[in-house]
Amino acid sequence: MSTVLRVESIVKRYSDHAVLNGVSLELARGEAKVIMGPSGTGKSTLLRCINHLTPPDEGRVFLEGEELTSENINKIRQRLAFVFQDFNLFLHLTVLDNVRIGPRRILGQSKEEATERALTELRRVGLEDRANYYPAQLSGGQQQRASIARALAMDPKVILFDEPTSALDPELTGEVVAVMKQLASEGMTMLVVSHEVAFARSAADKIIFMEGGYIVEEATPEVILRNPRSDRTRGFLKAIGEQEAV
Amino acid sequence: MSEFLDFAAEHLPYILEGLPTTLALWILAITFGFFFGLLLAWCRIYGGRLAYSLATVYVEIFRGTPMLVQMFFIYLGLPEIGIVFDPFTAAVVAIGLNTSAYQAEYFRGALLSVPSGQMAAAQAMGMSRMQALIQIVLPQALRRVLPQWSNEAILELKFTSIAFAIGVTEITARAEKIGYQTFEFFNTFVLVALVYLVLTATVAELLAWLERKTYVPGVTARAG
Ligand SMILES: Nc1ncnc2c1ncn2[C@@H]1O[C@H](COP(=O)(O)OP(=O)(O)OP(=O)(O)O)[C@@H](O)[C@H]1O
Ligand SMILES: [Mg+2]
Repeated sequence: MSTVLRVESIVKRYSDHAVLNGVSLELARGEAKVIMGPSGTGKSTLLRCINHLTPPDEGRVFLEGEELTSENINKIRQRLAFVFQDFNLFLHLTVLDNVRIGPRRILGQSKEEATERALTELRRVGLEDRANYYPAQLSGGQQQRASIARALAMDPKVILFDEPTSALDPELTGEVVAVMKQLASEGMTMLVVSHEVAFARSAADKIIFMEGGYIVEEATPEVILRNPRSDRTRGFLKAIGEQEAV
Repeated sequence: MSEFLDFAAEHLPYILEGLPTTLALWILAITFGFFFGLLLAWCRIYGGRLAYSLATVYVEIFRGTPMLVQMFFIYLGLPEIGIVFDPFTAAVVAIGLNTSAYQAEYFRGALLSVPSGQMAAAQAMGMSRMQALIQIVLPQALRRVLPQWSNEAILELKFTSIAFAIGVTEITARAEKIGYQTFEFFNTFVLVALVYLVLTATVAELLAWLERKTYVPGVTARAG
């Protein structure tokens, strides 16, 4: 398996306080990894450091072997999509335009090509009938699915998800999780910060448990969810009510 | 009443001959104010230290002194250092520079009110900061600023009357002339006030239409 994303020893400090203490990880093509961990542990910061939305203080990131630098960042981000906790759909654009703007204005496709692509991705997330709605006219689950379609329209090599369901009402998480499962099964390479254990169990190749700016352990879902090596992982899973009986 | 109507019928045409001048003053000044105000707001938010300071000082000076004083300075003061404008141009420059300071503050507020996640999402897709500002932040900011901007535009329409003080024969100047010819100052100024009233009401209606036309749910609170 070839490595698509490699993250090497990321360090991030805010004033004197280190939020990330040298975090490294790799994603092979088609792999899905889920990051879990207590609040304030640096999970969002890690994702934002990976695509340099927050520039890391130390460490390196490689996408398909190419190191991210301040020069190539805009080019690399086209292939390294990000899905936000609170969607961040462009508020003044319809759903169709939200999905189309990337291929059209960033990838430079023709209007027809970009529209075609956008409609394909909207069908993929089940939103073709909402193409002409504005974000404010959609439910949270629909908005998140639209933002996933927006990411997909860029034809990314990797998608980073930062708690994609945690801003949603419980009854709306299912539709978003279903889309993400579908993507994982189609071979999309994904790094997902999420406490959706059901998603992790069925779709993740690995679960990474983070705490205090470190990766505590990384293992298959069966191992992490049934028999984690670290007591801290066990304690966290118990706290979110997901430590399974052995 | 019929006496006033007769007065109006006789003198309105002469006053209305000043309408193109008034409208030209207004349109040139607010258009200049729009672009320069946007640039000032841009400098204050995104500019470096120097751009920020210059724009801030500019805004404070022009908001802190009377427009009439600014206009006299431009028309009567600047020639002493070799910068000469005809009255119309001097009035456009004065009103334009003044309104740009106010518009800058409205634009600044609107730009800052766009949620930061919009910029983050645009950059995360591979847009440069400039591209994100122009394609994502600015269209939202302009929609948000429209109600305040409309007020400012209407205010400036009335302020074009100060150009009369440096000899521009716009509608107020023409009314004053009629006043001294007829000595019917009461009727004269009621008449010219009505002209301004119709103008501002028309402009307000147009801008309200623009607001409805560009309304997007979730960007602005409601269509005006
Ligand atoms: N811009 C910032 N300035 C200062 N401190 C910050 C900043 N952003 C994050 N932090 C701090 O970094 C730490 C990690 O934050 P982060 O958002 O990455 O945690 P998280 O694991 O994503 O938490 P959650 O599960 O609540 O989303 C927190 O202590 C937070 O207060
Ligand atoms: Mg977070």
